[in-house]
Amino acid sequence: MSQFNDTQPIFLQISERIAEMILSKTAKEGEALPSVRQISADLQVNPLTVTRAYQSLVDLGVVESRRGMGMYVQPGARARLLAHERQRFLTEEWPRIAKRLAALELDPAELLANANKVTDQGSTDE
Amino acid sequence: MNDLAETTSAPIVSARGLRKQFGGREILHGLDFDIPAGRIYGLVGHNGAGKTTTLNAILGLTSYEGTVRVLGEDPYAKRAQLMENVAFISDVASLPRFLRVRELFALLTNIHPNFDQQKARGFLEGTDVRMDARIKNLSKGMIAQLHLAVVMAINARLLVLDEPTLGLDITYRKRFYRRLLEDYMTEERTLLITTHQVDEIEFMLSDIMFIRDGELVLHMQMETVSGKYAQVLVRPADVEAARAHKPIYEETRFGQTAMVFDGVDRDTLAAFGEVSTPTLSDLFVALMQREPK
Repeated sequence: MSQFNDTQPIFLQISERIAEMILSKTAKEGEALPSVRQISADLQVNPLTVTRAYQSLVDLGVVESRRGMGMYVQPGARARLLAHERQRFLTEEWPRIAKRLAALELDPAELLANANKVTDQGSTDE
Repeated sequence: MNDLAETTSAPIVSARGLRKQFGGREILHGLDFDIPAGRIYGLVGHNGAGKTTTLNAILGLTSYEGTVRVLGEDPYAKRAQLMENVAFISDVASLPRFLRVRELFALLTNIHPNFDQQKARGFLEGTDVRMDARIKNLSKGMIAQLHLAVVMAINARLLVLDEPTLGLDITYRKRFYRRLLEDYMTEERTLLITTHQVDEIEFMLSDIMFIRDGELVLHMQMETVSGKYAQVLVRPADVEAARAHKPIYEETRFGQTAMVFDGVDRDTLAAFGEVSTPTLSDLFVALMQREPK
């Protein structure tokens, strides 16, 4: 019954989902995010795990905890999150992908040309 | 940042050298553990391993040797006093079947100083449990909802659940745990659960205790499990090499060998196959099948 994968800690998977909500503008800047209790009940996970997920986003300056009010998306959160995710992509994912491309003898330029076609057809958001 | 404050107060439950004998046979062999506030504990073991006896000692329902303290008191000596702050649901405890729900609530209001009838009624809103219904006419799922409403309305600091969802279908089980997380759990409250359906509550737990033949064989925070235990799907060619790292458990299914390791570096294990963190039920099988020392 797992809605989580077993390769990453649960708190990271939850913080990624919240980050996803902010990146996709489901949760807009200055708006309230679901409470720890609500996420805990929805996902049937320990409240401390959800608190930890939120804490990692507070540390990034993306989420603000207002005493007695709950969690809010910080102004400028999306830009900060994008910068952070891009940095992570470039340092963690891209080297792996580049290695894999080389191993498969794929031409990145050709792939990019095709990728642009796909996103041109399917693009909705910036 | 109230939510994030670590609780550093005294443990809610504390046991030292907890032993229990039945008819000359010792069935708990000296358990030592502390349960802090704000945590959700899972106590898992085979039938007859000593789970219920341990819970009964905590609840003051049985005598024991050694020391047990619940909210700082001896549960066997101060049972009545502790029941104001401790509640439990067990698979054998039952509500008086001849009463109507309304009568049960009136009775509880009279006998339990912390029972909040308004709260209990609130918890039943949205369920099929009617105030006029006789308890004996309720389905098993509805009785579980009623029982949960009662114990949550007691505002207990410690809630002990012994196989609370036994015999309930999946919808009721999920609803049951959802209620607990939504309406009961706070950082001052503590939950101690035993269940055989451990996969269902794995992510709810903050801590896990495995009990085998009257001994604690595992007691750790859930988030530290992945640092200690690893499961590897070992490629056939690497089985011998992997065995050299002394797996604590090994199982072959469809020609694929799964091994569980204790305290072996994950980078080392990655050479033999895909590494993951064992689920609680995998870990349970692995630890329960080890030969007693």
